[in-house]
Amino acid sequence: MSSAHHDDSLTRTHAAHGEPLVWLSAMGLALGMLMVVGLLGVIVSHGIPVFWPSPVLEVTLKPGAKNPVPGGGNTLTGTLVQQRSKRAPVLDADGHRQADQTEYQLFVGNKDAYGVNFAFVDGADVEKIEEPKDIYVIERMEYGIAFGFPERITLADGRTVAASDPGFADALAEFVAEASRRRNEIGTIEKRDIGRINASLNNLKLKGRGSEESKIEIAALDERYNKLAAEARALRAVQQSATLTYKVPNGKERSLAAGDIIGYYQANRLGFFQKAGLFLHNIWSFLSQDPREANTEGGVFPAIFGTFVMTMLMSIAVMPFGVIAAIYLREYAKQGFFVRAVRIAVNNLAGVPSIVFGVFGLGFFVYFVGGSVDQLLFSDYLPTPTFGTGGILWAALTLALMTVPVVIVATEEAVAAVPRGMKEGSLACGASKWQTIQRIVLPASLPGILTGLVLAMARGAGEVAPLMLVGVVKLAPSLPIDGEFPFLHLERKFMHLGFHIYDLGFQSPDSEAAKPMVFATTLLLIILVVLLNLTAILIRERLRKKYSTGAF
Amino acid sequence: MATPLPSHATDRKRFETGVWTLWTDRLMTVVIKFGGAMVITAVFGIFLFILFQVFPLFLAARVTELKSVPLPDAKFTILGVDEWGAKPFLVKPDGKMLFVDFATGKESAVPVDFGDSAPHEITAAAINKREQKIAVGTADGKYALVSPDYKSVAVDGVPSVSASPSASAFKDIGVPGAKVLDIAYGDSGAQKLVVVLQEMDGKKSVSALQLKRKHSLLGKGADEIAGTFDLTALIPGRPDNILVPSTGDGVVATTEDGTVTYLGLDPEGKFQPLQSFRPFGDLGDARIAVADFLFGDVSLIFGAVGGENRVFSLFYPKGGSVRLFGQTHEFPKLACRPTYLVTTLRNKAFLIGGRNEASLRYATTEAIRWQADLPFTATNAVISGKYARILFLDDERRLHFFALDDPHPDSGWKALFGKIWYEGASEKKWEWQSTGGSDDFEPKYSLIPLIFGTMKGTLYAMIFAVPIALLAALYTSQFLDPRLRGIVKPTMEIMASLPSVVLGFLAAIYIAPLIERQIPSLLLVTVGLPIAAAAFGWFWSELPIQLRKFIRPGTEWLVFIPILLGLGWILWSLGPAFESVAFVTTDPGTGKKVADFRYWWPAVTGASFDQRNSLVVGFMMGFAVIPIIFTIAEDALSNVPGALKTASMACGASRWQTAMRIVVPTASAGIFSGLMIGLGRAVGETMIVVMATGNTPIMEWNIFSGMRTLSANIAVELPEAPHASTLYRTLFLGALLLFLLTFAINTLAEILRQHLREKYKTV
Repeated sequence: MSSAHHDDSLTRTHAAHGEPLVWLSAMGLALGMLMVVGLLGVIVSHGIPVFWPSPVLEVTLKPGAKNPVPGGGNTLTGTLVQQRSKRAPVLDADGHRQADQTEYQLFVGNKDAYGVNFAFVDGADVEKIEEPKDIYVIERMEYGIAFGFPERITLADGRTVAASDPGFADALAEFVAEASRRRNEIGTIEKRDIGRINASLNNLKLKGRGSEESKIEIAALDERYNKLAAEARALRAVQQSATLTYKVPNGKERSLAAGDIIGYYQANRLGFFQKAGLFLHNIWSFLSQDPREANTEGGVFPAIFGTFVMTMLMSIAVMPFGVIAAIYLREYAKQGFFVRAVRIAVNNLAGVPSIVFGVFGLGFFVYFVGGSVDQLLFSDYLPTPTFGTGGILWAALTLALMTVPVVIVATEEAVAAVPRGMKEGSLACGASKWQTIQRIVLPASLPGILTGLVLAMARGAGEVAPLMLVGVVKLAPSLPIDGEFPFLHLERKFMHLGFHIYDLGFQSPDSEAAKPMVFATTLLLIILVVLLNLTAILIRERLRKKYSTGAF
Repeated sequence: MATPLPSHATDRKRFETGVWTLWTDRLMTVVIKFGGAMVITAVFGIFLFILFQVFPLFLAARVTELKSVPLPDAKFTILGVDEWGAKPFLVKPDGKMLFVDFATGKESAVPVDFGDSAPHEITAAAINKREQKIAVGTADGKYALVSPDYKSVAVDGVPSVSASPSASAFKDIGVPGAKVLDIAYGDSGAQKLVVVLQEMDGKKSVSALQLKRKHSLLGKGADEIAGTFDLTALIPGRPDNILVPSTGDGVVATTEDGTVTYLGLDPEGKFQPLQSFRPFGDLGDARIAVADFLFGDVSLIFGAVGGENRVFSLFYPKGGSVRLFGQTHEFPKLACRPTYLVTTLRNKAFLIGGRNEASLRYATTEAIRWQADLPFTATNAVISGKYARILFLDDERRLHFFALDDPHPDSGWKALFGKIWYEGASEKKWEWQSTGGSDDFEPKYSLIPLIFGTMKGTLYAMIFAVPIALLAALYTSQFLDPRLRGIVKPTMEIMASLPSVVLGFLAAIYIAPLIERQIPSLLLVTVGLPIAAAAFGWFWSELPIQLRKFIRPGTEWLVFIPILLGLGWILWSLGPAFESVAFVTTDPGTGKKVADFRYWWPAVTGASFDQRNSLVVGFMMGFAVIPIIFTIAEDALSNVPGALKTASMACGASRWQTAMRIVVPTASAGIFSGLMIGLGRAVGETMIVVMATGNTPIMEWNIFSGMRTLSANIAVELPEAPHASTLYRTLFLGALLLFLLTFAINTLAEILRQHLREKYKTV
C-alpha cells in the first residue's frame, strides 16, 4: 500500500534541470534544417513545373464582369499561374464580404494579339472553367507562346491544307519539321560560314593595310559572301511565305510564318506519358538551346557553357599554384612564427569578400595587364580593347585568386595528414625529398587536394559579384570556344548561370514572364553546386574513414 | 675468414644517389620555394595593389612652373584663357586683345572689330566662363560683348589652339556717358543680363539691361532689349563690385562697407531685394576685398580685406521657402589682403591670393589643395577650363604658366569620412551620390552612409542568424543522437554552399512579396515560436517518465519539426486577424480606417516602409551566415574533451547544466571566433544585398527600410565608373576597407581559435 505511493512518486520525477532549454536548442536545429529544406523545396517546386505541360483553361466570366483581355468577349483562355485569396477583402454592393475571395492569375499568351501576357480574374466573376480539347499551344520564336485553334496551313508553293482535312495532323507535323530543318540550314550558313568569312575579312582589312593581294582576296571573299547570303535569303523567303493560320481564342484570325514556329502540342489531349515525354523534351531544349526574347524564353546553353569553360580555366589556374604553395608551406618553409602567420593570413583570405577580388581583377587584370597586352600585341585594334576589357580569362584568373586559399588550406590539411611514418620510410629508403613528395605524399593526399579543388569549383561556379566586374554579360554573341582559330577565345565575354539569374530576375523588361526561366535556371545552378559540394563531402568522409581506421 | 661481400654490395655507386634524382630534387626545391613564395606574395599583392590605386585620393595638388613670358608695357584690364591653358588673352584699354601663345612664348595683339571707328577706352571687363564671352564697359558709358572663339586644331597630332575674336557693337547702357567701373554678364541662353556699375561726378549707380532672344522660324534671332533697370536705389551704401549668376536672373552687389545685397529678378520682370548681409560683419574690418561666384553659381566666395575667406551658399533655411545665402564654409586666413579670386569650370576649386601668396582651395571640402609663396607679386590669375594650368600675371608684366596636377580635388579625408555642407543643403551631412543629372552636379563621396549600411545589414543578419546557429550548434554537439550527425552536418554544409545570387533572387522575388503582406504574421511567428518551444519543453518535462521515454534524447528536434510547422502555420494564418486588431490606421488616400501594417508603420513611427527591406536581407543573409557560425561553433563545442563532460555528469549535473556550465565556457573562444567569421561573411555579402534592398544610401536603423552596403555599392557602381576617376578610386577605397575589416575580423578569430587549441592540449 505504501509501495504504490512510492511508485507513483518515482514516476512523477521531474525531468533533469534545464530540459525545456534543451528543447529550445532543439528548435534551433529544427529551424536551421527547415530553412535549408524549405529553400530547396521552394526552388524545386517552382523550377520543376516550368517544364511540365499544364492544361489550358477556358474561363467563362459572368455577364457584366470586366475582361482583362482586350476583345475577349466573356471568355479568356490560358494556363493557371497561381490561385490565391485576396489581400483586401472584396465587398459587394451592400458592403458585405463576398463569399468568394479567390483570384486567379492566368498566363494568356498571344502577346502579339493582346498586348498582355498575364491577366488577373476575380473568383467571384467566374461562371465556369473548362478545358477546351482542341486548343493548340504553339511555341514561337517571337512573342512567346500562342494559344489557338489552327485553321489551315499554306505551303510555300501556295497549296493549302485546311484543319478539317483528315491529313491535317500529319501535314502540320511535316510543316513544322520542314521549318525547323530550314532554320538549322540558315543558322549554319549565317553563323558558321558567313561568320568565318567576316572574320577573315576583318583580319585582311586590318592586317592587309590595303595592299593589292589583300584587295583581291577581299573581293573573292565578298563574292562568296554574296552567294551564301543569297542562299540564306532564299531560305528565309520560304520560311516567310509558308504560313500557319490559326484563330486566337478571342476569335481573330492570325497567321504565323513557318520560320517562327518552334513546336506545338495539344495541351488538353496529352496523356501522362506524352506529358512526361514533353517534360523531358522541354528540359532538353532548356539545356541545349540559345535564349530568346531577352533571355525570357528558350534555353540557357551559352550560360551553361560559359560557366563550364570559366570554371575549367579557373581550375587549371588554381590547381598548380594552390598545390605548390601548400607543399611549400608544409614541406619546405621553415616552420616558425612567419609560416604560422602566413598560414593564418592565407586562411583569412578565404574570408575576404568576393567583390574585393572582383575589384582587384578589374584594376589589375583588366586595366593593368589587359591594357598592357593590348598596347603590345593588339595595337592595331586600339582604341577598341581586346584584352583591356572584361573577358573569360580575366574572370577565370580572378576567381582562381579568390579560390586559391581554399585549395591551399585543403592541400595543406591533406599533406599534413599523410602519416609521418610513410614519409620517413621513403626517405630512409634513400628517396630524395622531391621523390618522397612525388611518389608518397602527393598520391596519398590526392583525395584531399581533389576535395579542395571541387570546393573551389563549387564556389567559382556559384559566384557572381566579382564576375560582374570582369567580363560576364547578359547576352554573349559568341561562345568562348568555337570552330574558329584559335578555337579558345580567352578575350571573349561570356554568359554565366549565376549572372543569368541576376539579370533575369532584376533587369528583365517583363519580370513576370521571366519568372519561370529564373526558377529553372536557379534549379539548375543549385543542382550543379549541390552536386559538386556533395562530391567534396563524400570524398572527405571516405578520407576520414580511411585515416581513422589507420593503415599506418 | 669472412666471406667476401658480393661485388654489387661493395660497388660504391650503390650508395650514391643518381645525378638525375639529385638534379630533379634541386630543381623542384627551387621551383616549389619560388612558386610558393610567389603565390603567397601575389596573394598579399592584392592588398598592395588596391592600396596603390587608392593612394592618389589623398594626394595634394602639385603645381609646377612651366615658363614665364614677358609682356609689352601696357595696362591690362582682364585675363582670360582657353580650355587647354595654351593661349591666354589679356584685354587692353584700347580694345585690343593680346594673345600669348604658350608653345612659342610669343604674344600677338589682335584688334577686335567693334564695328565702330571711334576709339573707346575700356575701363571694365568681365568673363562669362560658361559662354566664353567677355563683357567690356567703356569710360563713356557703353558696353560690348566679345567672343574669343577658340578653336583647337590638331597639327601632326599636336593640338594647337587658335583664336579669332569677334565682338558686338558698342551700345549705351545705364547713365549716359558715365564711366563704367565694373561690369557683369549673365547668360542662360534665352535670357541675358548685363549689369554695370558706373560713376559720374563721384556718384555711383548700378544699372541692368535685360536682353531676350527672339525666336523665329528661321532659327536664332537677334537679341532684343527686354528691359532696363536702375538698381541704385535697391542697394544700400556705395557699391563697389557687382556679380551676376550665369542664369542671368539676379544681381549680387557688394558695397564699400562690406554689405552684400542680393537682388532677384521676379517672373514679372522686376528686381526685388531678397537679402542683405555682411559676410564679415563679426570682424573689425568688414570690408570685402574680393568676391565671386563659385562654379555652379549657387555659392559666393568672399575674401575680406584682412585675409579672411568665407563661402556663402544659397539654400532653403530650415522652415523657409525662399533660397537665401548663408555661410557654409570658412577657410584659413590669408596673411595679406587678397587681390584676385578665380574659379574654374571643372569643379568647386578656386584660387585666391594677394601679393606673393597664392592658395588653391576646394570649397566643398574646405581643403587647401595647394598653397605657396610665389617668387613674384601676382596681380591676377586664371585657371584653365580643364583645370590643368594656372596662369599668373605679376606686377612686372610677366605671364607665368604653371602646370596643375590635381586629378582628385574633390577627394580627401574630409570628403570621404567627414560631414560636409554641400551646396543647396541646409546643413552638414554625410552623403553618397556619385552621379547626377546636370553639368554642375557635384558628386558626393562620403563613405559613412555605406559603412552605416554595412553595419545595419550585418546587424540584422546577426540578430537573426546568431540565436539559430548557436542553438543548433549546441544541440548538435551536445544532445544530438550521434547517428544523426551524418545527416545534419552535410545539410548545413549544403546551406553554406548555396550561391548568394540564388539567395538574393529568392529574397527579392519570393520572400519580399511574401513578407510584405504578412508582417503581423511574421511578428507572431518570431515571438511565438521560441516561447512555444520552451513551453512545450517545460510541458514535456512535466510529463511522467513513462511518456517521456518514447522520445529518445537526441531526437527531440525531429519531433519538433512537425510541431514547428503546425504552430508556424497557425501563427502565420492568425496574422491578418492580429493585424486587424493591432495595426489599424487611417488610409491617407481614402480617409477610411484600414488594418494594414504597411500604412500603420509609417503613420506611427514616421519611418518608411519598403518592400525590399532590412528584414528580408537579415533573413536571407541568415542562410549565408548560419552555416558558418554553426560549423565553427559546433567544432569548438565537440572538441571539448570528453573527460570534462563525463566528470560533470558524474557529479550529478544534468545534460543542460553540463553543456552550459562546462562545455560552453570551455569552448567560448571557439564560439566567439565562429561569430566573428560569420560577421566577416555578413559584412562582405554582396549579391543578397544588391538584390534584396533598394540600395539607397540612407542612414537610419529602421528595419523596414533598405540600405546600401560597401560591397553592394561596388557592384552597382564600379561597372560604370571610368578608369582612374575619383569614383573609381573611391570604390577601390571601399574595397580596401572591406578587405581590411574582414581580414582583421578573421585574423582575430583565427588567433582565438589557435589559442583555444593550445588550451585543449593542456586539459
